[in-house]
Amino acid sequence: MAGFIVKRMLQAIFATLIVTLLVSYAIRLTGDPALMLTQGAGSITEADLARIREALGVNRPFLVQYFEFLRGMVTFDFGKSFLGGTSVGLLIKGALPSTLVLAFWSMLVSIMISIPLGITAAVHRNKMVDQVIRVFSLVGLSFPNFWLAIMLVLVFSITWNLLPPSGMVGSLSYIMPSVTMGIILTATNVRLVRTTMLETLNAQYIMVARAKGLSERKVLYKHALRNCAIPLITYLGLQFGGLLGGIVVIERVFNWPGMGTLAFDAVGARDYPVLQATIMVLSLMIILVNLAVDIIYGLVDPRIRTE
Amino acid sequence: MNKFLKTTAAVAVMAIASMGMATSQSMAEGKLSVSVALDPGSWDPIDTFLVAWGAVGSNIFDGLTERDTNAKLHPGLATSWEVLDEGVRIRFKLREGVKFHNGEPFNAEAVKFTFDRLLGEIGAKGPQRANYTSVESVEIIDDYTVDFHLTQPDPVLLTKLAGYGAMIVPPKYITEKGEDYFNTHPVGTGPFSFVSYEPKVDLELKANPDYWGDVAKVSELEYRFISELTTAVAELQAGRLDIVEDLPISMLSVVKDDAKLDVVSTAGPTVYGLRFNTRDGITANKDVRKAIVMAVDRSTIIKSLLAGEAEEIASFQSSLSFGYDPELKPLPYNPEEAKKLLKAAGVAPGTEIQIDIRAGKPTFNEVVQAVGAYLQTVGLKAVIKPYENSVFLNDIVPQGKTGALFQQSWGGWTLDYDNTAYLLYHTGQKWNPYGTDAKLDAMLEEQRPMTDVAKREELLKNIAAYVADEALEMPLYGLKAIYGVNKRLEGFVPAPDNRVKLNTVSIKQ
Repeated sequence: MAGFIVKRMLQAIFATLIVTLLVSYAIRLTGDPALMLTQGAGSITEADLARIREALGVNRPFLVQYFEFLRGMVTFDFGKSFLGGTSVGLLIKGALPSTLVLAFWSMLVSIMISIPLGITAAVHRNKMVDQVIRVFSLVGLSFPNFWLAIMLVLVFSITWNLLPPSGMVGSLSYIMPSVTMGIILTATNVRLVRTTMLETLNAQYIMVARAKGLSERKVLYKHALRNCAIPLITYLGLQFGGLLGGIVVIERVFNWPGMGTLAFDAVGARDYPVLQATIMVLSLMIILVNLAVDIIYGLVDPRIRTE
Repeated sequence: MNKFLKTTAAVAVMAIASMGMATSQSMAEGKLSVSVALDPGSWDPIDTFLVAWGAVGSNIFDGLTERDTNAKLHPGLATSWEVLDEGVRIRFKLREGVKFHNGEPFNAEAVKFTFDRLLGEIGAKGPQRANYTSVESVEIIDDYTVDFHLTQPDPVLLTKLAGYGAMIVPPKYITEKGEDYFNTHPVGTGPFSFVSYEPKVDLELKANPDYWGDVAKVSELEYRFISELTTAVAELQAGRLDIVEDLPISMLSVVKDDAKLDVVSTAGPTVYGLRFNTRDGITANKDVRKAIVMAVDRSTIIKSLLAGEAEEIASFQSSLSFGYDPELKPLPYNPEEAKKLLKAAGVAPGTEIQIDIRAGKPTFNEVVQAVGAYLQTVGLKAVIKPYENSVFLNDIVPQGKTGALFQQSWGGWTLDYDNTAYLLYHTGQKWNPYGTDAKLDAMLEEQRPMTDVAKREELLKNIAAYVADEALEMPLYGLKAIYGVNKRLEGFVPAPDNRVKLNTVSIKQ
């Protein structure tokens, strides 16, 4: 197990390096931060721009800048934002918890909806209930997530004035972003739960469980669901990564002060240090979650543990 | 959750604090909430050019001069000034009895400190210094008199002193607390003082009861950073924001249809137009350029596509700009005349004409579609080519790789035509990839050092008339500064440049 974890960690570090290298290089192709900073200026000369570039340190060769970023990473010094010189570490410290909390609630909403729905659909396979659930999940898959967000805001904030339309201000403000994200995830999760459940229900041990007279409830939730867990956990783990990506859009619509908003503003301002660090932290998160999924496997399934 | 508790605690503390304030000061009541599109990250005046900074900073800091909502200059922290030695020395008399929010006195020393800092090592790292390079040094004459020594006459300097970089900062505070602390805990002499700042979330201010001008009529002022305008408008509709600036044309009807909200607008500094490639192709011919301008009905575009929230322009400046000539009229809409001119110039019907624009600007995109349709009516086939923003600004325009027409928008904050004209028309300038007109160059150079205001204005008007006569561009419109405002506000005056001073605003009970 230890060797396995070390190997995966090394892979993770390598993947992070590749991701940050690509992002750092790509953002530098899209424009000059000195120009962005002086956009509102009346009379800016080349000499002024050169002076600002030097102050920002972007006049040096790309690899020098990149290695400095890596060095900072090792010492947990992410540098300073080009916008106002705020410490990047501080910005991430403020934004990361907000994003994680939102991701957590979104996953929870999705699990709470998709497991009962998926099981119901599987049990009533090809009946009316199943068809309705499948149509709804298809609809859920098809519409864009920001559209759902805007509709929720229109109904719950503007028409009924029940929930704050944006920001992270009190527990009520968590509802719409997590529900939006949660519903988007639910669409695929319902289908996944339904399919794995169907496979499991055909297994012989289910027949045995039923034959020995267990209640249907016990059969479903004790025997069948536990055996569905492995594909579900794998999928949810991978989904968490995708979730962190999708959250950028949702965060922007709900003005959620998280990593997505941070990255979005950083792209707009060509704020290299903030963007590099945000992407690095997000990719590390995704890699770590995948690692965690592998480890949890062993805990859930004794067969893997003994191998 | 921790953050939630912290916010709740902060709100509770503030609520208690404001209750205390309400008893001592019955005038100031209520809390104003305003959206700001981007968190500038630092509240230090010399760190930024972002309009987001200006919107907020103008309520915390003051300059020696001040510009009102009609873009006219007024005394600010200086009560009067005198231009001496043929424009290379300006003597300012300073306002007495003014204190910074931390209690530090405002005096000649503060002015000298501000400019030494701006023009010294710290200012060199930031973008603002570029605007003040004509200042050589500031000399203290007595506690309330300073002399500005200039390297050369700078007729725009008095306007620039109302700009971000020249906001007066407290010497003792910055020296004691350090630069980094000042960035996130600003102290100035303005109508509102700092309470708290949470990066990317909000900035809270409170009324400054000792303000030298009109003391604020609300006790609290909150700026919330909301980058998505749709979200800001939703907050406005939900009654959780009082003011949203820079409303996009596409959202005007949403705000107008809401009984609780108003759309308030005023002439703005930003102008839009299409410039010509005067070097190659059919647009090298002046008559063809004139024909193209005359083929487009600009007033209909303003009425139907811009909801009337724009003004027609004859030169590349808004009506607020120094050098604006109300007598100068744009070329009339006259498709018949345009056809004649095109025919005389030997342009065959069906000739293709390429218009380069920046992608992702929905309103301007619609305008250009309309322009294309108008050109069709005089027999030109318009091809619209969108570019990604930075490609357009770095590789296409400055390199002279545009089609026959290309988009230009310009929002000179100094509202002085020199700032626009010199950079757009002088030979060799970055934004002038095609023109090499010695006569125009001479005129542009001549007005720069002039200290005679009237003479300089006359010359600027001549430059605008010359450019219009040469038809170097198709001036389209000057967009108004548009605000969405909750009707519960009283005394809101829209500012052309986002720098709305909120001390005049009160909340109707």
